Amino acid sequence: MLALGPVVFAAPWVLLGLGLLPVIFWLLRVTPPSPRVIRFPAIRLLYDLVAREETPQRTPLWLLLLRLFLAALVIVGLARPLLNAGSDLPGSGPVLLIVDNGWAAAHDWPARQTVMRETIDRAERQGRTVILAPTASAAPGAAPAPSGLLRPAEARGLAEAMQPHPWPTDRAALVDALGNLEIEGSAYSVWLSDGLGGPAAVELADAVQRLGGGETRVPASGGTALLLRPPSTEGADLLATLHRSQPAGERDVWVRATAENGRLLARVPVVLADGEASAEARLTLPVELRNETTRLDIESQGTAGAAVLLDARWRRRPVGVVDIGGQDEAQPLLSEVHYLSRALEPFSDIVVGDLDALLDDGLAVLLLPDGGLSPEQRTAATRWIESGGILVRFAGPLLAANRDELVPVRLRFGDRILSGALSWTEPMPLAPFEPDSPFYGLAVSDDVLINRQVLAEPTPGLADQSWARLADGTPLVTADRRGDGWLVLVHTTAGPAWSNLPLSGLFVEMLRRLVAQSEGVAGADSVGALDPVATLDGFGRLGLPPPTAVPLPGNAIADEVPSPEHPPGYYGSEDSRRALNLGAAIAAPAPLEGLPAGIAVTGYQGSEEVNLAPWLLAAALALATIDLMIALGLRGLLPRRRRLATAGAVLLALAFVGGASGGEAFAQTDDALAIQVANATYLAYAETGVPDVDEISRAGLESLSDVLRRRTAAEPAGAIGIDIATDELAFFPLIYWPVVPEQAELSSAAIGRINDYLRNGGMILFDTRDQGQGSGLSGVGPGMERLRTLTEGLDIPPLTPVPPEHVLTRAFYLMQEFPGRYAGGDVWVETAAEHVNDGVSSVIIGPHDWAAAWATDETGRSLFPVVPGGERQREMAYRFGVNLVMYALTGNYKADQVHVPAILERLGQ
Amino acid sequence: MAVPPEPANRQSAELLSARLPPLLVAAERVAATVAQGVHGRRRIGMGESFWQFRRYEAGDATQRIDWRQTAKTQAVFVREFEWEASQTVWLWRDGSASMAYRSSADLPTKRERADLLLLALASLLSRAGERVALLGGDTPPATGRVNLDRIALTLARGADAPGAAGGLPVPAPLPRHAELVLIGDFLAPLSDIHKTVSGFAQRSIRGHLLQVLDPAEHTLPFAGRVRFAGLEDERDTLVPRVESLRDAYLERLMSHLDGLAALAREVGWSYAWHRSDHPAQPALLSLYGALAGTPPREPAIAFGEGG
Repeated sequence: MLALGPVVFAAPWVLLGLGLLPVIFWLLRVTPPSPRVIRFPAIRLLYDLVAREETPQRTPLWLLLLRLFLAALVIVGLARPLLNAGSDLPGSGPVLLIVDNGWAAAHDWPARQTVMRETIDRAERQGRTVILAPTASAAPGAAPAPSGLLRPAEARGLAEAMQPHPWPTDRAALVDALGNLEIEGSAYSVWLSDGLGGPAAVELADAVQRLGGGETRVPASGGTALLLRPPSTEGADLLATLHRSQPAGERDVWVRATAENGRLLARVPVVLADGEASAEARLTLPVELRNETTRLDIESQGTAGAAVLLDARWRRRPVGVVDIGGQDEAQPLLSEVHYLSRALEPFSDIVVGDLDALLDDGLAVLLLPDGGLSPEQRTAATRWIESGGILVRFAGPLLAANRDELVPVRLRFGDRILSGALSWTEPMPLAPFEPDSPFYGLAVSDDVLINRQVLAEPTPGLADQSWARLADGTPLVTADRRGDGWLVLVHTTAGPAWSNLPLSGLFVEMLRRLVAQSEGVAGADSVGALDPVATLDGFGRLGLPPPTAVPLPGNAIADEVPSPEHPPGYYGSEDSRRALNLGAAIAAPAPLEGLPAGIAVTGYQGSEEVNLAPWLLAAALALATIDLMIALGLRGLLPRRRRLATAGAVLLALAFVGGASGGEAFAQTDDALAIQVANATYLAYAETGVPDVDEISRAGLESLSDVLRRRTAAEPAGAIGIDIATDELAFFPLIYWPVVPEQAELSSAAIGRINDYLRNGGMILFDTRDQGQGSGLSGVGPGMERLRTLTEGLDIPPLTPVPPEHVLTRAFYLMQEFPGRYAGGDVWVETAAEHVNDGVSSVIIGPHDWAAAWATDETGRSLFPVVPGGERQREMAYRFGVNLVMYALTGNYKADQVHVPAILERLGQ
Repeated sequence: MAVPPEPANRQSAELLSARLPPLLVAAERVAATVAQGVHGRRRIGMGESFWQFRRYEAGDATQRIDWRQTAKTQAVFVREFEWEASQTVWLWRDGSASMAYRSSADLPTKRERADLLLLALASLLSRAGERVALLGGDTPPATGRVNLDRIALTLARGADAPGAAGGLPVPAPLPRHAELVLIGDFLAPLSDIHKTVSGFAQRSIRGHLLQVLDPAEHTLPFAGRVRFAGLEDERDTLVPRVESLRDAYLERLMSHLDGLAALAREVGWSYAWHRSDHPAQPALLSLYGALAGTPPREPAIAFGEGG
């Protein structure tokens, strides 16, 4: 190896070839370029003239230098120059490459692979053997162990194939294995650590010392792996904790929640402040999105420790509302179920049914309006509460009259009327909520007044059981813990009979808090084995479980540490799966500390070795191409006219100019067009592809624009042709569409766009140009035939001939006929339906070929005669055009005119 | 034999010649031929022009008696006509390999241009009733469209390559006082040309030389190091810097052209040269003038590039 500054030559003897350069120089100098050959009839006249030339032709000096440079490039390139090559490794024995390939290594795995490659390259240059020692076990039952002595080429293959595993490292096992390693002489170790300390980190360093010393690579403090714990739920929020091993420096990360299909649901920033080893991420999600969340990630970490899989335990359960029955469906405002459902709808799934069905439904929260329960039902409900459910009962006349045991506190018989004919108290507002109440923090409004309630017997524990009170201290909401669940009683009705609480926003918020109180019914841990369904790989990607993954006992999943047998992932079945998370089971990461002094600690950002040979040889090839072009040019073999273009093409090809996109220009012109048509009103016509028809449409609309400018306040800027299938339609209030048999079929995408346009207030005038053949939509003209097939997929509502009172007959001019070039056919509009689009027809269909009647040439002379004739008919055609555009621009504005006679009459005029 | 397609150059030749009136060769001495033509021989013979009345002699056919003249006088007269013969023009163009040259794809080859001029001339002559033949061809002189077609076909087949060696015609036993038109590049040594021309001139044949040159031959537009190769098995020559030779070459070319002109003057022939990138019309006009007897303007090359 020969080193020249940062460049090292792996095959320095090739550089001797540079000595040949002077020889090449001399050879090139004495060899003139070969001449062009020209056939020439008058050659006889040239014969003796040749002798007069005295200086022999030589290769030009610049070309000589170019070729010498080319030769030098080839020689230097063949000498395999390496930029930033590492220095020799100390020692003479084998090189021991210890690689942490647990979950924490995945974050910057490419950097580790680069260091592995470089180290193996260096060992190869020195002719040393390599021992690879991963610290994570690769297969069940296979403790991590060093490989045998490997030739560098073999080691390189193994290193390339090595992947990080989604479970922790087992350094202790490797320390034991290294103690048994038989090595001749002293080995030099390179330990690519993941930067995490642990039980056996120091022991491993000691083992390295014993084997002959070495170095450790540690990721920079910003590059150590982060661990994400499974989230806890706090109300509607998910609260997840992040850990890092080195609490130095501030670190900003993002935590993201994604759905099953990878859709991003939420993304929150988390700041790990300087000195803090952990931080909390709070994800606030609407209930639908929270139920969709299947995974939390620390962004751009890409490790199994930074990914948390969520299963049904984190999911919001639907809320059951018990329908007592007997309440009138026709009068929902009297139904308590109605009020509960409306209050819960914004943030919960609601299941309404009878109690027995709901108890079997696996719900978390049951709301029970006033009503009696049979003893069997009470027993079943009690069992359900004790297994984790929350039952919220509401009082009412029935409960007041028939007390039962399924209440959190003992109730007095009867109810308390705060406001009535015989009562002198006022309706009572609520007292502010106590801090230990689940409702704490909700604003209490004075508008909420309770008229009647049931009263609890005063007992010593009553104050602790009250979640809400009235202003005079009587409990309004009481709760009692029963087993794993809660029994809650609201001492007034769920409907407005006893209070106006159900009409208030507070009711919604209180119910929301009550529902948030539930964590869902924790599914009983099944004892059966859970099969792996999908597992994470080392990079945190969910995939098929590896063949080494085996089923997990259902009761062990809570505290199972992921291992080759049980990689983190989903277990169970596709329908009910449980998540096994790495973050749930392992200790918080600790920094790698206390290493023996003899071990050098460096980072991964070491110098990257660059092999310059391919670049030099590529440059030589490029130069050779240029030289070939020059040689051809000197011999005149390049066509004179094309010489520049060829040179340009060669330069272009050599410059590797990529990514020149022609699309931008189109985008710009599109934008320019969009700005143009958005800044003014343009009358648009659909291009049919038949030049004559398009030209008539254009001329007709231009001329109509003139008429509009002269006669009305509308100032159209002109006519514009659009391709109905591809152009943006939203800019145009009206599209004139002459239907011709040659019109191309519409693609389904185009039909969708036209439907959108029509639905959002656009208007299309279909002109079948059929001269009134046949009457109405059953006409037999070719245009109508074509229109029928063309509009097959369009959402065209029911049509009717323009009724006499239609806005189209009075939008500007009063008219009942709508002649164009032809007259006598029917014009069809949508059947009036006030609730759709303000009753403005989105489609107008007629056979009168209006554009031809409107069309004029540049001098204002009409292009086509009108049939049956008369300038009066042309004027009426223009008037129809004015009415049409007015109708398109103002909608049903003029519909009021329908009532003008009645108004005038009422005014007595 | 099926009717062969009319060669394309025949059409363009007709187009070219259509702008000129039929060409009557101003023959001072019409070739001794029995064929009737429009050239009066100033002798008694077969013809249409009146020549003289003479007394009836015994042995004259009675049909030849001019009764009107006889009635005016006492004697019996016979009307005699002038012997009218047609001139024969022999045409030749160089068919050698060096004629198949063009310096640019936009130009016609020299042979195409020579063929065009030859056919146009033949067409003009035929329309005037002159008899036309290809020198060295196997058809006798004739007139009319059929003959014209035959000439065009012969040219198109390239079958006519007499005297290909050196690009000069082989002296053929032509009738005396015939007209001869030679079209070629005449790049052969002047001595060879002189020998050929004087061979014809000795037989009192009036000749016209039209030299067709490619613009590259006239300007030598090449540059750099060039190996020149001939088209007729000449040896190659390597020119290190063509641009340095250009003046010497042009000088030599001019002396060659001057030599040709002098040579033509010496035997009383006309001479003109023509560049293939110029329109064919002036060259045809020049030949027309030379054959029709208007003395060619001096110097004859005035219609060319101007030297």
